Amino acid sequence: MRFALADLSIQIGHIRFNNPVFVASGTFGYGTENKELVDVSKLGAIVTKSITLNPREGNPPPRLVETPSGMINSIGLANIGVDKYISDMLPVYEGIGTPIIMNIAGSSMDEYISVLEKIESVSSAIVGYEINISCPNVKEGGMQFGIDCSMTESLTSALRKRTEKLLIMKLSPNVTDISSIATSAENGGADAVSAINTVVGMSIDHKTAKSNIYTTFGGLSGPAIKPIGLACVHKVFHSITIPIIGIGGIVNTGDVVEYILAGAKAVQVGTANFRDPGICVKILNNLDLYINKHNITLNNLIGSVKQYD
Amino acid sequence: MIIENAMIVSNVEIAIGIWQMTLLAPEVSSHYKGPGQFINILSADSWEHPVRRPMSIANVNGENINIIYKIFGNVTQQLSQKVPGDSLNILGPLGNVFTGWKTKRTVLLGGGVGLAPILNLYESCPNSTLIIGARTADEHFMEHEPGKNIFLTTDDGSLGVAGNVLTVLENLDFNDQIIIYACGPKPMLKAIQHFAAKNSVKAQLSVESYMGCGLGLCQGCVIERQNEQMKKHSYHEKYTLVCMDGPVYWSNEVCFG
Repeated sequence: MRFALADLSIQIGHIRFNNPVFVASGTFGYGTENKELVDVSKLGAIVTKSITLNPREGNPPPRLVETPSGMINSIGLANIGVDKYISDMLPVYEGIGTPIIMNIAGSSMDEYISVLEKIESVSSAIVGYEINISCPNVKEGGMQFGIDCSMTESLTSALRKRTEKLLIMKLSPNVTDISSIATSAENGGADAVSAINTVVGMSIDHKTAKSNIYTTFGGLSGPAIKPIGLACVHKVFHSITIPIIGIGGIVNTGDVVEYILAGAKAVQVGTANFRDPGICVKILNNLDLYINKHNITLNNLIGSVKQYD
Repeated sequence: MIIENAMIVSNVEIAIGIWQMTLLAPEVSSHYKGPGQFINILSADSWEHPVRRPMSIANVNGENINIIYKIFGNVTQQLSQKVPGDSLNILGPLGNVFTGWKTKRTVLLGGGVGLAPILNLYESCPNSTLIIGARTADEHFMEHEPGKNIFLTTDDGSLGVAGNVLTVLENLDFNDQIIIYACGPKPMLKAIQHFAAKNSVKAQLSVESYMGCGLGLCQGCVIERQNEQMKKHSYHEKYTLVCMDGPVYWSNEVCFG
């Protein structure tokens, strides 16, 4: 029996995406490296790695270690800087066939604004910005914004004034109350929030008594953090009205459905891309079957997790 | 590069804790460029170990790829339990290749798990001097044959030359027509780098690194370049990606900290 293709399209702000499965920042490069292995035009959107005002070499190695059902990274926002990004990457995005969401990181309000204004001053295929206010691995990663409500709100509203494009604030789980940060992002004028960034973690080699990561602390990702991601999305769902993009440990279609049930409108797949850059396309094919089989719409699923009496 | 479900043809222990696996991989083998390249393997479908493991290619014969691995942790343990007919998901071939060996005299050094690419290169240049180091005789699977320029070393002196690969290297006669090729643990590569600089000998080193993807996406596998002219703000001048730029580097290109 053949099904018609399900309508997987979703709306965030004024942008219509063909489907809700995006690739997460830092796990798909600038978006063009994987063309050999994946049909990127199938993806809902590509969120680029974080771009900063100046180029960054990133942290010294070791930068990465596997942990049970996850991994810890401390890359340190290695990137080419916004000027080279404009000259080298923006032209490549023309005709890529996938919405590009540019992730921006900064260490000050001015840096975020400068990067965004530089992109706004040129014409590009970028449909929106995801603002990294939650990188746990570098002092300059914007984490001071992501843990403070008033700074989150003022940064969001400063950026909102300067762009009509989609504005997504990426939230950290490493806070006492993620709902209040999400509310600040909404009050500042964000179109959506994405949650979660990596969870602060540490890994030690007991044989050498050394940390497995140069910077001692790093960001834990992968299936190990899925329960944390689900909980954060569900908490945020009850406190804001703008869409939530769920992130954290998604490796299959079931995980996508769980995030939507928890309150997400779209999702991002991160660490799983490292193992299989084609995994999002597989997830999408199965999501299509799931929607057809259960005769449901994505919108009706959002936040509809059943509670015990 | 390609992702392929390869079929395991054989999987045998060739020395204590050291295994050789032959994979039928028509797709990946057809893209193979030469000694130095590697594949990233998945030991299981489960997500208990989410990250692929890099394994140097020890040999490509038609559609068959050989790897040699040492039992080190859960993943290599799982690998050793696989039997002919099982499948193994592999990504590859990845990385660059050893160069210059066709025209020069060569000395090849392998230590620990760094045997595979060196044995691969040895098949292409069998007139090389081959030096293989291990801790004990149990970890060796070749014969110590100085008459054929094959030297085995052991830390405890239980087989071949007592000492490490440097013990043999330091007693060889060198001239500028010789290139050293080496793969092994970081302290060994650091010592060879030092030897090459001191004796003005060229050396290519195959570097090992933690790796998240093998595709340049995660930026996790970097090592530091030797680069005195680095700009204050730069990108990929201070560090190089082992998965894409390596794993083979000239000894004066990289720093081992």
